Amino acid sequence: MSCIIINKLSKNYGHVQAVDDITMSVKSGQVFGFLGPNGAGKSTTIKLLTTLIQPSEGSLNILGIDAIKNPLQVRHKIGVVLQQPSYEPTLTVEKSLEKYGMMWNVPKNERKFRMEQLLKDFDLVDIRKKRNEDLSIGQRRRVQVAREFMHDMDLLFLDEPTVGLDPSARRKLLDYLRTKVNSGLTIFFTTHILTEAEYLCDEIAIIDKGKILAIDSPNALKNRFGKDKTIKIHLLKNHPEIAKLLTGIQDCKIDFQTGTSITIHSEQSEIVLMKILKILNDNSIEIDDLSAIPTNLEEIFLKMVEENVSNN
Amino acid sequence: MYPIIRLVNRNLTISINPAFLLWQIIFPIIYIFIAGFAYTSLIREVPFGSKDLAYPAFLASGMIGFNIMNSTLVSGIIIWNDRKYGMFEQIMSGPFTRANYILSNICTIGIIGLVSASLIALIGYPVFFDSLDFSIVTVPLIVFAAITGSVLFGSLASIIATKLRSSEGFNVILNTAFLFFAFVSTAFYPAEGAPEPLKTAFYLNPLTYLVDIIRAGIFGNVSEFVLIEMGILAIIATILFIIATKLLTKLDF
Repeated sequence: MSCIIINKLSKNYGHVQAVDDITMSVKSGQVFGFLGPNGAGKSTTIKLLTTLIQPSEGSLNILGIDAIKNPLQVRHKIGVVLQQPSYEPTLTVEKSLEKYGMMWNVPKNERKFRMEQLLKDFDLVDIRKKRNEDLSIGQRRRVQVAREFMHDMDLLFLDEPTVGLDPSARRKLLDYLRTKVNSGLTIFFTTHILTEAEYLCDEIAIIDKGKILAIDSPNALKNRFGKDKTIKIHLLKNHPEIAKLLTGIQDCKIDFQTGTSITIHSEQSEIVLMKILKILNDNSIEIDDLSAIPTNLEEIFLKMVEENVSNN
Repeated sequence: MYPIIRLVNRNLTISINPAFLLWQIIFPIIYIFIAGFAYTSLIREVPFGSKDLAYPAFLASGMIGFNIMNSTLVSGIIIWNDRKYGMFEQIMSGPFTRANYILSNICTIGIIGLVSASLIALIGYPVFFDSLDFSIVTVPLIVFAAITGSVLFGSLASIIATKLRSSEGFNVILNTAFLFFAFVSTAFYPAEGAPEPLKTAFYLNPLTYLVDIIRAGIFGNVSEFVLIEMGILAIIATILFIIATKLLTKLDF
């Protein structure tokens, strides 16, 4: 079942087309990644989906509710962690959580219980009495994300939630989000960090210049767009003559910066590899290391965005 | 709980702190008991309707209006802080409408204004006790002045907060405007006897009307002119409230 159905959604600011005729849907109970370079339209899309702004055209159904006609009904059922920090500077961490729960009409006892749990889950116990204005950027971000779990929701929008977090806090947050999804929550997640998207997301949409370039699971995207494979060969000794020997073999690059290494990047990398290995064997050149580098989402992302730029 | 009550609860929590409360009490005490009695050597009595008021009594009643105005600065500070620290957007993405947000601000400053007026009335009571002319209209007049004045000055502070992004600009403009309102008014001294241009300026200032209404309530001098002042104050408060609401409604993310 889809919890977000977007149909021909557009948003323009004067002549600037921030979101351009987007049509897509997001299934319930999954993490949906929304990737794109700076200015691609990610935050505008999130603002449209969270009903903060109205679209110029198109229709939008969130959790079975017409989000354009009934934005308040939608907002009762969603949680939002925006890209920009949001906090009350003079409140302490625990007071922030408690007041946020109160704003969402969570009963007092339940608020207290959830607050204690979140302080533990987000490693905030030691700083619970600190005022928000005295926290580091990472601590403030943790409070901002934790605060959103003070209330119940069916769908959570996270706009680059890991900005400012150290690697350990980042991994902890991603794992926490995964447990929430396993218990039924749907997450709409934007990030710049593609390894995060690969780690967490069940489905990914890539957006650039307001248009959706592709939507699929990370693995399917790799299969569809990551046909080029990369193989690296590092030679035991320095062999300046290798450049001459490999003349005529396409899709390979030679690098003499750290010894001699050959990088094959081709759709038919195995065939290229066989040819190179034969040449190396014929010339008694010994190999130190040979490794295949799996295609990652970052390469696909960069390739798609570059192609989109050159197509435009 | 209704959304507006929840937002008022939140507004009061973030804006009322011990320093603010202390300042709200100490500042008027200094004015009433130090400036009030020190200036008595210069201004012994101030003619007010059919009676002559002792200067400390005149000043204490003026301080009620002054404190109402001062406390409504909170409204501008809440809006400005919410915008600066991202809470405006966060609240608007939650179970609230813009109307909830605006009304909660008005209720917040109304509460702070009323509490502030009561506080100063209590503190100043010993000095205007002799001249007090308590009647059926005393409390309604003070409540009217507190609420209308809060809405008026709160709306003004909100307008400034929606228009300015920099903290320096916000503080300078707000403080300058409120300094003008405080000292070009009848809060500290009577209009009678002041040079004509200054006297005219006094009556271009809503704080003058606010203070006049409070004095009329406390000292029992509800003239036709005071009724006109009440009308003017209500009209200005309504206009400023509409402008503030429109600006807040149009505030972009």
